[in-house]
Amino acid sequence: MVANEIPMRDSLAALYSHHHGWLYSWLSHRLGSTPDAADLAHDVFLRLIYKPSPNGFNSFGEARAYLRAMANGLCINLWHRREIEQAWLDTLAARPETVAPSAERQAMVLEALHEVGAMLLDLPAKAARAFILTEACRMTQKEVAEELGVSTRMVRKYIAQAMLRCMQLEARHTAADLLAPESI
Amino acid sequence: MSSGASPSAVDQAEPSHRVMQQAAEWYALLSSEDVIDGDRERWRAWLDDDPAHRNAWRRLEAIRRRFEPLQSTPDPRRTSDELLDANKRVNQRRTVLKSLVGTGVLGWAVWHYTQLPLMVSAWQADHHTITGETRRLQLADGSRIWLNTATALQQRFDARMRGLQLLSGEILVETASDPSRPFTVETPDGRLRALGTRFTVRLYPEHTLLAVYEGAVEILTREGAKVTLNAGHQTRFTAATPGISEPADPAREAWIRGVLVAKDITLREMVEELRRYRNGHLGLAPEIESLRVYGSFPLADTDAALDLLAAALPVRIQRTLPWWVSIEAAE
Repeated sequence: MVANEIPMRDSLAALYSHHHGWLYSWLSHRLGSTPDAADLAHDVFLRLIYKPSPNGFNSFGEARAYLRAMANGLCINLWHRREIEQAWLDTLAARPETVAPSAERQAMVLEALHEVGAMLLDLPAKAARAFILTEACRMTQKEVAEELGVSTRMVRKYIAQAMLRCMQLEARHTAADLLAPESI
Repeated sequence: MSSGASPSAVDQAEPSHRVMQQAAEWYALLSSEDVIDGDRERWRAWLDDDPAHRNAWRRLEAIRRRFEPLQSTPDPRRTSDELLDANKRVNQRRTVLKSLVGTGVLGWAVWHYTQLPLMVSAWQADHHTITGETRRLQLADGSRIWLNTATALQQRFDARMRGLQLLSGEILVETASDPSRPFTVETPDGRLRALGTRFTVRLYPEHTLLAVYEGAVEILTREGAKVTLNAGHQTRFTAATPGISEPADPAREAWIRGVLVAKDITLREMVEELRRYRNGHLGLAPEIESLRVYGSFPLADTDAALDLLAAALPVRIQRTLPWWVSIEAAE
């Protein structure tokens, strides 16, 4: 694998001064929003503090490719958050007659939505649906089977599959948390 | 479960994949209508059997707890449906990324020179190729189109016209004759009208490159400048200007045969070409950028092309990871 030599690594300050302006304008272009771009550009450099590139950067271009890759991942996180928040606002707006939940309660629900949304993101559509219907809507496996038009045996398989994926994700995150605090 | 602490604080070790799988299967059984008393006893025995089993079960419970706030929303069903829809939309965007990266390593989506809005529209285009792919199309009127790597093309043919719109990448067009319906190619920089012909059109971020090999092509730039380019010529035109005509390089056509022909170009130009056909990072050390390159290189296997380069030039290929490759000076 990679030789474990001390790489020629720019100091973070130098990296920042060489690349921050470029990264910021790249992100502004991608996101179409300058405040978001400023936040994400900052997050990218924060992550570099916690999780430096394994081999350092051998060239200007390499540094940029690395930063761009990180920024890309953060963009997707941001879109995911936005989509989920918008969905929740839509849900609330759709029932004006009910008493709106307290702000604290809403924040809790939103957090849960982010977590659940991230857990289900990689699952096959039917497994994700089966899982959320049993867990969040407390439907029985039989009811879910009828709704999805599959056998109860299949639903049981979906639940096991979904639960296993969530546990694996969780395990991976726990390991990652030990290495680097998440900034998003 | 009494533990309210985060799993990382409680767990001593990672449960193995097999144990997590067992836990998930137990859970699916226990929450089904088919569960019988004997199952519960067997599950208890499984739980007592090994601390790792209890550990896995604690994690499982932690995952279930994450759904609890959703149960008490005004309309859990609607909330769930909206969440799945939101996920679907995000996944559509991710699909675009994955197709470019190939590896599916999301956080590592090394994405060359492409802006999102363009790629999203490319994904929905009538015809498109992914990075590294080339394709030939036979159109209904008999015209033939080759799509180069990472190309997206819209087609609008009707009774009065034959229109193509190039959204990204590069095409080679061989038009079939149809005097009643003009054949046009649109790019962000302008509109091309084929006058019985064979030509390539390539999009760059700042301009469009048109090279004509047979017949002639009329360029009408966005801002209204009009000029006709004859066979054997190429130009880089923008919305404002039709550019300067220069001799067309026939080697530019070789990609339709899956070959990159290099005739005294710099290594830097060569690498820029290869990057179009590869996912991931391809770095080049600055001190070897101006080496001259001659030869034919396979585009379908850019790793082989890199090995050929290393055999012909004083360079070595440093493969840190499959998607992180750099070309260094040979020692």
